[in-house]
Amino acid sequence: MAIEKNYYTIDPQGKLKCVKCGAPLITGKAKFMYLDNGFPVELPVCPVCGFVYVPEELALGKVASVERALEDK
Amino acid sequence: MSQIQERGSTHVYKVNKISKEEMESMVARCVYEQPPFCSAACPLKLDVRAFMKAAADGDFKKALQIYEKIAPFPLILAAGCEAPCEERCRLGEIGDAVSVRAVEDAVARFGEQSRSGGVFRMKKRKSVAILGTDLFTLFLAGELEKKAYPITVFCEQGDCESFLRACVPFLSDAAFALELKRLGGKDIQFEFDRRIDAALYEETKARFDVLCTSAAAARELFPDAVILPELMFCEEQRLVCGDCEGVLDTAFGAKKAALTVDRLAQSLDPRNMRGQEGACESNLYTDLSGAKELRHIPPAGDGYTKEEAIREAGRCIQCHCEECLKSCAYLKHYKKHPGLLSREIYNNTQIIMGDHPLNKAMNACALCGQCSVVCPNGFDMAQVCAAARRNMVSTDKMPLAPHEFALMDMLFSNSEAFLCRPQPGFEKCRYVFFPGCQAAAIAPATVRAAYLDLCERLEGGVALLLGCCGAIADWAGRTEMEEQTHELLARELARLGDPVVIAGCPSCAKELKGFSPLEVRGIWDVLLELGLPEGAHALERPAALHDSCGARGDAKTQQAIRTLAARLGCTLEDTPYSGDRSPCCGYGGLTAYANREVAAELTEKCLERSDAPYISYCMACRDRFARQGRESRHILELCYGTDAGSPPDISEKRRNRLSLKNELLQEVWMEVPMVKKLEYSLAFTDEARKMMDDRMILVEDVIAVLEDFRASGEAIEDEDALLVARRRVGNATFWVKFSRAKDGFLVHRAWSHRMRVEKREG
Repeated sequence: MAIEKNYYTIDPQGKLKCVKCGAPLITGKAKFMYLDNGFPVELPVCPVCGFVYVPEELALGKVASVERALEDK
Repeated sequence: MSQIQERGSTHVYKVNKISKEEMESMVARCVYEQPPFCSAACPLKLDVRAFMKAAADGDFKKALQIYEKIAPFPLILAAGCEAPCEERCRLGEIGDAVSVRAVEDAVARFGEQSRSGGVFRMKKRKSVAILGTDLFTLFLAGELEKKAYPITVFCEQGDCESFLRACVPFLSDAAFALELKRLGGKDIQFEFDRRIDAALYEETKARFDVLCTSAAAARELFPDAVILPELMFCEEQRLVCGDCEGVLDTAFGAKKAALTVDRLAQSLDPRNMRGQEGACESNLYTDLSGAKELRHIPPAGDGYTKEEAIREAGRCIQCHCEECLKSCAYLKHYKKHPGLLSREIYNNTQIIMGDHPLNKAMNACALCGQCSVVCPNGFDMAQVCAAARRNMVSTDKMPLAPHEFALMDMLFSNSEAFLCRPQPGFEKCRYVFFPGCQAAAIAPATVRAAYLDLCERLEGGVALLLGCCGAIADWAGRTEMEEQTHELLARELARLGDPVVIAGCPSCAKELKGFSPLEVRGIWDVLLELGLPEGAHALERPAALHDSCGARGDAKTQQAIRTLAARLGCTLEDTPYSGDRSPCCGYGGLTAYANREVAAELTEKCLERSDAPYISYCMACRDRFARQGRESRHILELCYGTDAGSPPDISEKRRNRLSLKNELLQEVWMEVPMVKKLEYSLAFTDEARKMMDDRMILVEDVIAVLEDFRASGEAIEDEDALLVARRRVGNATFWVKFSRAKDGFLVHRAWSHRMRVEKREG
């Protein structure tokens, strides 16, 4: 079986909760998309409604640097 | 407010060609890479600057290495060189030229010879014979030895010493002894006591690949030989030789002859691939104001001592042109002269696939045109960078991110905050006041006072037009958006009866003049005619006047501001780089959005000119100086006795524009504007406020997220029991961390990203 590509994983460690559903967030499959490029990742996701959480550190760190790199393509 | 379409993909494989001629003509204006005049005058192309620097540093070994590149026998050349470099030395125009030859002589005497080449040097396969005894054959042997040819010199003398003496009868005994030693150290074979005759010619022709002779020997062997002086070559006889006069000419002749030997050894036509030979012209610009020692250091004895040579070499001003780098923080930041940077930026626009490494540099130029004034040849980085931005936009390769906030701000100014009304009681107006978007954003009370004053004191009606002139789109390279803005403004101006435009900002005035046939005047000119309004006052302390880059080349405006300041009673200090040479505050060209680091350096460059408070006549300058903590006032604040106070953050700048519009609608046009009020309270921690300004997140963005949360209830609760909600607004997703407060919310943090994120199945 082919190993599925995954660029980044964040485990919520049971510390985050979906307000709407009341469910704790789990590590779930998500995808970042920008300028016709896609990146599969694993982020905290609500198992009920599918809310995907992008923490501040990720947004300002890895996400921002990939954005800059793609913008200059 | 409409959105700006993000480019769809990074997979755009087309470029819009730029004219190579256009690029080359601009790049050629930069004289940074031109040789200094001394080196240009030297047919041997000595790097005089590097040589003098090494000598001045006392590094005679290095200096000698540099000199030996052009002189295999340094003392001989130094003794007899006619030194055309000294004639062209720029110091000679204001004092004594640097005594290059005397320093060369000292370096040749005191410099430690480096062991270049050595025994492991690979010899060339083709062998060379040199027949005859004169300075040319000696120099040629030296040149060919440097090129690692196996050389044999055939001479009538019986030993090396008598050969050398016959070559350089003019050399002093001391120098002779040193050069004899040098000759002995060179890998040159000699066959002594050989008569130069036809028999020797035949013999060497059979034994060697290339034959070289002295001019005398050539004439003796072939009385009818025709020597081509540019090649040092008798074509018919395949003989390398030449007539030379003087030591320098001989050294140059030997250099040309060595190149001819190279070509012949490779069985190539000696005419080809010779490059530029000999002395050349230079257009280098040299600022002579830094010259300190104008007088030549006289040697105490026959030649310079080491110390004297160091002092004389230290007089060299190292001619180079850095006028733009001295004045422009942007060029200084990238540490590249404009010729090189422009070529790289042009190339950046022509990359079909992959990274565009110069995007940031291309978008960091303030497009202020200062370089075009300080450069002796009028090099204009603004023209290069603006053309590159337009080019990249035209191929959909321009990232939107660096300019999106500013462009959205422009759309805001020309939609929600836009206002165009004739003065009450007038259908058509003789004038329209156009304060500019930044004036309304930063100093709304000043704009209000100015408009009311103009209405009161001008005849024929004064309309008001609050909006953006389109300069922001121009700076971003978005021609289409700029044209749309111009169409909007032209339409509104026509509706007002094509009035005279009274601009409050020199950049707006410039932009408006660029597309509108209407008369455009600065409010400063109008105030000079009308006289100062009531409440006008001076700054108590002497102030520095910062000229706006929008007024570059506009002496009338620059003078009008000075006259206005004088009438106010201001004492203005003289600052370097004022008038046309004024640097940009960092807002121009959208540098403040695209590259904050460079923008901060530009601001710093403006402020380093004086410690006094700054008076400016562009609201963006006023704002950026105030943000750096400098007392900063716009001339209109002084004219109207208003004080815009501490600089507003990005959200306040928008709110100021809306409030100004609404206040004036009520006050002047008696209209009650629709003001949307929040149904809940919204508060921010100080940290959140600062963070939002830094991250370019507007209060409106936060409200959009919270509205969404109120409607959907979607949010995350973190371990500190704070809530985090998000919403996609335009091309970015905004995240807000907040807590519920009494009747509303308290915002703790906010962040954003441009990438879309969604759950994926699997």
